[in-house]
Amino acid sequence: MSAVTSLDDHYDVAVIGAGPAGLAAATVTATAGLSTVVLDDNPAPGGQVWRAVTTTPVQDRRVLGDDYWKGQEIVQAFQASGAKHALGAAVWSLSREREIGVSFGGGARMLEARRVVIASGALERPFPIPGWTLPGVMSVGGAQTLLKASGLVPGGRVVLAGAGPLLWLFAHQMLQAGGQIHAILDTSDRAGWRAALKHAMPFVTSPYLVKGLKLMAGVRRRVRLLTGVTSLAAGGRNKVEAVIFRQGSEGGQRMAADMLLLHQGVVPNVNLAMAAGVEHHWDAQQLCFVPVLDTFGGTGIEGVAIAGDGAGIAGAEAAVERGRLAGIAAVRALKGDTGKLPDETASRKVLAKYDGARAFLDTLYRPSRGFRIPAGDTIVCRCEEVTAQQVIDNVRIGCTGPNQLKSFLRCGMGPCQGRMCGLTVTELIAETRGVTPAEIGYYRLRPPVKPIALAELASMPKTESDVTAVVRI
Amino acid sequence: MQYSFLNLVRQGLSGHQDWPAQWRSPEPKTAYDVVVVGAGGHGLATAYYLAKEHGITNVAVLEKGWLGGGNTGRNTTIIRSNYLWEESEAIYEHALRLWETLSRELNYNVMYSPRGVMMLAHNVHDVQVFKRHVHANRLAGIDNEWLSPEEAKAFCPPLNISRQLRYPVLGGALQRRGGVARHDAVAWGYARGADRLGVDIIQNCEVTGIRRDINGAVEGVETTRGTIKAKKVGVVAAGHTSVLMAMASLRMPIESFPLQALVSEPIKPVLPCVVMSNSIHAYISQSDKGELVIGAGTDVYTSYSQTGGLHITTHTLEAIAELFPTFRRLRMMRNWGGIVDVTPDRSPIIGTTPVPGLFVNCGWGTGGFKATPGSGHVFAATIARGEPHPIAAPFSLERFVTGRLIDEAAAAAVAH
Repeated sequence: MSAVTSLDDHYDVAVIGAGPAGLAAATVTATAGLSTVVLDDNPAPGGQVWRAVTTTPVQDRRVLGDDYWKGQEIVQAFQASGAKHALGAAVWSLSREREIGVSFGGGARMLEARRVVIASGALERPFPIPGWTLPGVMSVGGAQTLLKASGLVPGGRVVLAGAGPLLWLFAHQMLQAGGQIHAILDTSDRAGWRAALKHAMPFVTSPYLVKGLKLMAGVRRRVRLLTGVTSLAAGGRNKVEAVIFRQGSEGGQRMAADMLLLHQGVVPNVNLAMAAGVEHHWDAQQLCFVPVLDTFGGTGIEGVAIAGDGAGIAGAEAAVERGRLAGIAAVRALKGDTGKLPDETASRKVLAKYDGARAFLDTLYRPSRGFRIPAGDTIVCRCEEVTAQQVIDNVRIGCTGPNQLKSFLRCGMGPCQGRMCGLTVTELIAETRGVTPAEIGYYRLRPPVKPIALAELASMPKTESDVTAVVRI
Repeated sequence: MQYSFLNLVRQGLSGHQDWPAQWRSPEPKTAYDVVVVGAGGHGLATAYYLAKEHGITNVAVLEKGWLGGGNTGRNTTIIRSNYLWEESEAIYEHALRLWETLSRELNYNVMYSPRGVMMLAHNVHDVQVFKRHVHANRLAGIDNEWLSPEEAKAFCPPLNISRQLRYPVLGGALQRRGGVARHDAVAWGYARGADRLGVDIIQNCEVTGIRRDINGAVEGVETTRGTIKAKKVGVVAAGHTSVLMAMASLRMPIESFPLQALVSEPIKPVLPCVVMSNSIHAYISQSDKGELVIGAGTDVYTSYSQTGGLHITTHTLEAIAELFPTFRRLRMMRNWGGIVDVTPDRSPIIGTTPVPGLFVNCGWGTGGFKATPGSGHVFAATIARGEPHPIAAPFSLERFVTGRLIDEAAAAAVAH
């Protein structure tokens, strides 16, 4: 077993995140004989895609599907590789000198690594609609987490709304698990099909096509699908009671519901990388900030690489290959070519296949403007309860960007540390000011990237240099 | 528009849609009577008092980022005036008196809250020094009182006064008129006030050079938005002052250090005052939002990076966790840094420079926020008259040549 109960001060390689990319990277470096540690705050390996793949109570393999169980193989390879796995280890800081601040086993500490692979994965894109903070409104990813980790399936009248592959996958899994879906409200833009056609060739030849069509056809047979949804709101007093929506330019409809699950794609989880000082740029196709990387996932910071969806959304299979490439680069940097490396060209070939197909999916499921850039009283920042209109009003009286907005409205200063509002705020300010999101930029992120108890920081183990650093002569 | 009950009702009736912008965003003119570099609290206050008290309204405040985005928006907002030396007492007390009426003066709620600032003594040296401060302050008519550990605990119930601590509480010096204010509101209030008097606040305008005529006197500044002429230039740029002054070939006796602060998740009101511990260099207070605001010390190395060393923070938190055991399980949400400009005697520099027409206000170290109104007030007078205001006079640049220092560092054993 690879799980550890204590951490060393130094490792050759530290991998942050135990999802597809992190596991693959660690397997490569540990197999090559480098001391490797994987830090992840979850109780089991797998990340989001393969969450609880070793522990899930959902043992009927048809429910979660073959792609999920594929994760078992990767986890087994990882566990056999000799890499150490710190379960429940929350990384809250990474410096340019590759010092990692981690909270593990009830205490905080620092550790150092010669190479760091950030594999922090993706987050669901915020879906700010009126009423999205009501109890009973969740993200599709959140519901899927409950299914994988605890075998929970939502009951009552469940409505799924949004767009993107994960929405269809979860609908399929939920039906397989014996759940009932009241309706699916598809918000993808009809114009998206036409735009996506020019990227169709690589998609047709990719593994996505057959899988995707089969999945969607299966779900469609059993669930009422309403397409061309152009506006969406959750209604209810103390919990969601209904979904209010429009199809195209038709009049408003109201559908009674006990649960509304929202999803409009995933975006890179950039908090740790940005806080470490990795340069990011605005990706106009994926509508999010992505790190600037070389072909092995290397960042501008010496010895720090990013692999997986944190490097730009490409899916689990691509994440595995990107993880391997980052692992290969780490081994070459620390040991030279040892011969015990996986085949780089094979990884690149697989990657090319998935990357090519991505443009089609990105264009097809590009979340439409109205669902990214809210208006009026719709909450933008959930932690501080800031509405879209407040943001617009403050931009009009002189606020120029997200960091200044913090002092005006406290937007992004709550416990989620901007994860639930960052992109919305950037795009909202950009639109109000009439400039590009690239020009607006993102919140300035700083450690701790995960909230950490005062006592943990206060009880950090001390080295001699730590003491000299605060002793005043 | 005046902020008043009547206007509040009037705007309320129209759904609060017609409040005007608090300040304009003007294009820079080609020339001004005075250019102030730096739109933090001190710079904006300077512009405000230039217009208000000296009738000089043709003033531009240039800011490379946004107003109040530097140390004004990053500090822990502590206000007090219980310094040791008469010169320091004079300027900080001058500021404190202005704080007391500032919201009314600016027609803007700066949320000044005189909840009391308590400085803890942890060893015999602290006790002696703080008692000396108490006596010195009382002689100068400034309130400051000595509290026994039990009195300190009565004033601040969450405080742990056990004798077993690594930093035991042996007593404290309390200034009841001390407290906190809302830092952003101070910048906004002065900005709005100055703007209403005709001052141009120009954001996103970085000064790249200081122009001088053949006699060496200042004739304007080069900026990223063009050349702006002015016979008088006041530099109020905190940590970056030495960079700006170098443009006029002046070397400043200041060093720039990162200073850090952090906040916890918000909780219900538990901490009724500001608590400082100079020996450990920790400050703590509770914001109106409910977050505990904790200030740490400066790094021991100079730097322009707005992030400080983690050791500094953990050192501070060790002490906080001992002094306030109930806070141990609170989660820390954010940590940030600012660049503070520190002089050899830990006192500011306010006044004229060897370059005619060039004025400087800097060196406030880790404690400039409390001085904001007083600093702006005397600096405005200094610029307007071309000679130091009496309160500013001891804080001249020449003191580092003459040796007439105001050594608050030795007095308090801490940079503050």
